[in-house]
Amino acid sequence: MAETLFEQVWGRHVVASQPSATLLYIDRHLVHEVTSPQAFEGLRMAGRKVRRPGLTFATPDHNVPTDNQFQILDPLSKKQVETLRSNCREFGVELYDIGGGRQGIVHVIGPELGLTLPGLTIVCGDSHTSTHGAFGALAFGIGTSEVEHVLATQTLWQGPRPSALGVEVNGVLPPGLEPKDIILAVIRALGIGGATGCVIEYYGSAIRALGMEGRMTVCNMSIEAGARAGLIAPDDVTFEYIARADRPFAPRGAALEAALVDWKRLRTDDASAFDRNVSIDASNLAPQVTWGTNPAMTVDVGGVVPNPEDVPFATPADARRALEYMGLVPGTPIEQIAVDVVFIGSCTNGRIEDLRSAARVFEGRKVAAGVQALVVPGSEQVRKQAEAEGLDRVFREAGAEWRQAGCSMCLAMNPDKLRPGQRSASTSNRNFEGRQGPGGRTHLVSPSMAAAAAVAGRFADVRKLLK
Amino acid sequence: MQPFQTHIGRAAVLDWCDVNTDLIIPARYLKRTERSGYGPLLFADKRYEPGTAPPPDDPSNQGPLAADFPLNHPELRDATVLVVGRNFGCGSSREHAVWAVQQAGFRAVVAPGKGEGFADIFESNAFKSGLLPIELDPGDWDALVAELRAAPGRVQVEIDLNECVLAAHTPTGDIRFGFEIPEEERRRLLRGLDAVAETLLLDDAITAHERSRPAWLAASSTPA
Ligand code: SF4
Repeated sequence: MAETLFEQVWGRHVVASQPSATLLYIDRHLVHEVTSPQAFEGLRMAGRKVRRPGLTFATPDHNVPTDNQFQILDPLSKKQVETLRSNCREFGVELYDIGGGRQGIVHVIGPELGLTLPGLTIVCGDSHTSTHGAFGALAFGIGTSEVEHVLATQTLWQGPRPSALGVEVNGVLPPGLEPKDIILAVIRALGIGGATGCVIEYYGSAIRALGMEGRMTVCNMSIEAGARAGLIAPDDVTFEYIARADRPFAPRGAALEAALVDWKRLRTDDASAFDRNVSIDASNLAPQVTWGTNPAMTVDVGGVVPNPEDVPFATPADARRALEYMGLVPGTPIEQIAVDVVFIGSCTNGRIEDLRSAARVFEGRKVAAGVQALVVPGSEQVRKQAEAEGLDRVFREAGAEWRQAGCSMCLAMNPDKLRPGQRSASTSNRNFEGRQGPGGRTHLVSPSMAAAAAVAGRFADVRKLLK
Repeated sequence: MQPFQTHIGRAAVLDWCDVNTDLIIPARYLKRTERSGYGPLLFADKRYEPGTAPPPDDPSNQGPLAADFPLNHPELRDATVLVVGRNFGCGSSREHAVWAVQQAGFRAVVAPGKGEGFADIFESNAFKSGLLPIELDPGDWDALVAELRAAPGRVQVEIDLNECVLAAHTPTGDIRFGFEIPEEERRRLLRGLDAVAETLLLDDAITAHERSRPAWLAASSTPA
């Protein structure tokens, strides 16, 4: 039977098989400060070493302040970052530290460094590791016990092979719409648990038309539908990204030629090989805005807050709890909901393309009175690039804050937090209760929709602004 | 890891669906670098009166329990089996969510629907930490919850991992349900085995795989 892309990559990495479990070799292990301290401690207590420090790469991101990265005032955050530093020193792991020019959100720097390549297995103690699937890698998040296992053995036990879910996105994305709208629409169609036990492969003309940044946005949120991973077959767009000059770990010369021969074979030849298929037409999409407390609770920007009885994939009781937490009344038009804070950043939308999209909306406009707008680049490299293009000037002139690299208000482990009751338009990936700070209310949108909300002071259809 | 063979205890029900890991343990508590002390932090933003959840640097400084949170029912405070709605543990990969459930005193979590009860990473973290994730047939789950609701705190739940059976001893009699656990995970749980130690025995296979990796892959770990 025909194999899908993910099954090919899986098959190449099998080290040992048992009836209900497979031992997979891991090509790249990315590490950050939050989910690793207990794993290193486990190694230390058992007297074990890191098997392949050369395949292990670390950076601090979650706790890093974005107004002054060098001043971590919270003692717990500081200790966590320092613990990462001492663990990397002790175990010989390469650390991309603050101020070194390469620090950033782990899923933003992996591809920048050329660590993320087609056909690889990539893991990290972080659910958004699915981001790296944009290159045709099998990339997924793991827990701390598994981080310890990978550190010690460079392998990972997996249960039965996940099933393959094909998500086809055809058509042409209309002006004003972004990759974020595609993935929000996919999650809306699948439900928050709709892809549990699956690896999603995205394909179709609308996916092919995306750049690498957009593909990463799409793969990033696969986990929001419950998927183990999400990936996209590599093509010339992928190869061109990898071949760019500043990817220190990407193969070069003869090694690259050999790799390319291999990478070009990585594809699903026959869509009937998927265990299940879902299809979306990008041409018909409107900008998406979440109204509730999970990423599947989404409507079009022209829509209204739904009745709890009419929420797909949620019981009326769960939907009522979501409405209550969000402080929303059914029937309210989305465009009448005012925002207090706008956050542009995260591993979903903190890359250069995202900042360009936001800047196009901010250009010549002002952030509405009473709204705080934060623009947080995903990495030091993104920050440098944005400044070279003058985007920082556009943000500042509009009245937005231009920050330093980190996870920031995506999950509020650093000082960037919503206050209880505050409402945000956020380009991040999760609108869970308290995600951006206890009591905070998050609406997920694309970068241009976030910028539109910043200038309008409420959700606004960016297509009208761009006319 | 503590082995899991059989267990008897009281069960508490939290029947919300899609309970995410941020709800199970809010991100601010992930700044801790220890592996213990997470019990009081379980559902911190729901379990305590608003504004009285423990500060991250002092987990034992707990406020009054919120009266309306289902797990705070006085008869369920010593529950050791947590019965939850579908897709429990969705969201982040934080194993702290499993540690919090476990360190709050639970040995097993019971959800409805094979392959739908738990989010993938939560389930795998649970196996690795010795918290037993059980997925019941949805009809069986409904029947169990009905019994637990009918006599809060007076139903003993008995789990036998050797036989893969969950029984509920209710004031009116016993009901028994079967469940499935992947054989490898069951074997490790029964004996409390350390997965790393076992994998290290496969060193030859791992080394053989490393030798077979294409050169471009190996070369890429040296910066140009
Ligand atoms: S940006 Fe948000 S989702 Fe991404 S790694 Fe950081 S905290 Fe996690």
